[in-house]
Amino acid sequence: MAKSSFSKVDEYGFERAADFDYESYEEYMSQYLPILARRARKWARLMGNPNSLKRGPVIKRFMRKGVPAEHRAEVWLWASGATQLQEKMGPNLYRELLEETHDIDVVSTIRTDLPRTFPDNIFFNQGDQSEHRNQLFRVLCAYAHHNERVGYCQGLNYIAGLLLLVTKSEEKSFWLLKVLVEQILPDYYGPTMEGVIVDIDVLGELIRLKAPAIHQQVTALGLPWPVVTTKWFICLFAEVLPVETVLRIWDCLFYEGSKIIFRVCLTLIKSQSSSLLACDDFGSLAAAFKSTTSASSTLNCHQFMKSIFQVPGSLSSSTISTLREKISQDRHNS
Amino acid sequence: MANRGGPAQRPNPQTQGKICQFKLVLLGESAVGKSSLVLRFVKGQFHEYQESTIGAAFLTQTVCLEDTTVKFEIWDTAGQERYHSLAPMYYRGAQAAIIVYDITNMDSFGRAKVWVKELQRQASPNIVIALAGNKADLANSRAVECEEAQTYADENGLLFMETSAKTAKNVNEIFLAIAKKLPKNEQASGAGSTNQGRRLQELDGSPKAAGNCCK
Repeated sequence: MAKSSFSKVDEYGFERAADFDYESYEEYMSQYLPILARRARKWARLMGNPNSLKRGPVIKRFMRKGVPAEHRAEVWLWASGATQLQEKMGPNLYRELLEETHDIDVVSTIRTDLPRTFPDNIFFNQGDQSEHRNQLFRVLCAYAHHNERVGYCQGLNYIAGLLLLVTKSEEKSFWLLKVLVEQILPDYYGPTMEGVIVDIDVLGELIRLKAPAIHQQVTALGLPWPVVTTKWFICLFAEVLPVETVLRIWDCLFYEGSKIIFRVCLTLIKSQSSSLLACDDFGSLAAAFKSTTSASSTLNCHQFMKSIFQVPGSLSSSTISTLREKISQDRHNS
Repeated sequence: MANRGGPAQRPNPQTQGKICQFKLVLLGESAVGKSSLVLRFVKGQFHEYQESTIGAAFLTQTVCLEDTTVKFEIWDTAGQERYHSLAPMYYRGAQAAIIVYDITNMDSFGRAKVWVKELQRQASPNIVIALAGNKADLANSRAVECEEAQTYADENGLLFMETSAKTAKNVNEIFLAIAKKLPKNEQASGAGSTNQGRRLQELDGSPKAAGNCCK
């Protein structure tokens, strides 16, 4: 096989797996690079005019087609409302939080997870001297003390870690983490993770409506949805899907909100329906679900992002909020 | 036609002995080495810094006893306290559990005892529970005495071994000890799969023979 021009480490510092398919990747990138170049030109024009970042159909389309890496930090801060929040709460909040006295239990829980966060990433796996690891510690620690109810929830390490890789700024990562946890997602990371449990049930219900055969199969073989999807929700697909695909999903997540998560879940499940339906026992079904996230279709992030707006069909915010309400009520009544 | 037990469709390709399938769950505090024990047992590998498990991970591994092949469906869970609300989903229907603590961390032993109580109360009544004192390679920093854990295990009818995912000490042994203790003559229904007549895949690093499983 010809030697690939792609390095063993990707542009975000993740070491590619030993079985990484360079040939397919090269073929896909030859199509994706011109798209990236075109998007970069369009975004450069947009960002050149300070008044053009306004919510509306044009920007929504721009977000869905992907934000160029060099603009991601700024665009995410704008799209998520983090910029406004930061202005409202004062520019010194992050620094002040770092100066506070920190709870030793929280500090030790976070420290335990630092070397266990992205051990396959060259920015994070350089030991205790790793600057990224120190930054990650400070972001998680500041947030845990800022929002004591949430504190530190495992999974936030991956989200904050990826935010750091994209924004290259602790402070920006802190604000984006704050809007994600407190505004974009319902109570995912609180002490009982109620929001995640409800959303997993919402997904189950959506699958029952939109892919009844798969729902029936999964129920018949006794595989609970949380077993498959907990990590999808908690990590927002970080450590689940290829990194570029995750960032493209987050482009939409910061602009359109948590509904996007359901679009991605439904697409992953529906597009692998034939292999899921072919399973005849619990073990093979669980394995088939695992492979939905490593299917080659998820690496082609541009095509994948197109498909999330087609494959699941219509999905309104009101459908999601109605289901969320109904399911949490049922949980409280039971 | 698919019911929870699943149809036994295929003839057994390995004609000798019978094949049983069991669901096994790993529980214990965060960072005590649950995923590392599984990785050692299933793939024969060890990573000094194993990624923290979010939700749960599912793996399978097969061990051979004298006349029986035991296939474990292994559910490896997240250890952080707030993930607790998800735990019953993983141990429901489990026929075996390994509760893991870190011998250098007394709190993790306390947490293990809480798990034992919860399983005794809420899990299947005949569940086989093993207690694993992991990180036995760090005996210099020991905080939990072996005798104390052994006494606790004896009082509660648990299998007990000190293990090291790093050096592989007692890793295969603890799974084998569980395999030996599990009943082989009934339908292993809780695993959500058929227990007989399934095509089994031999995995690399699978323990070949039953060693002496007690320390």
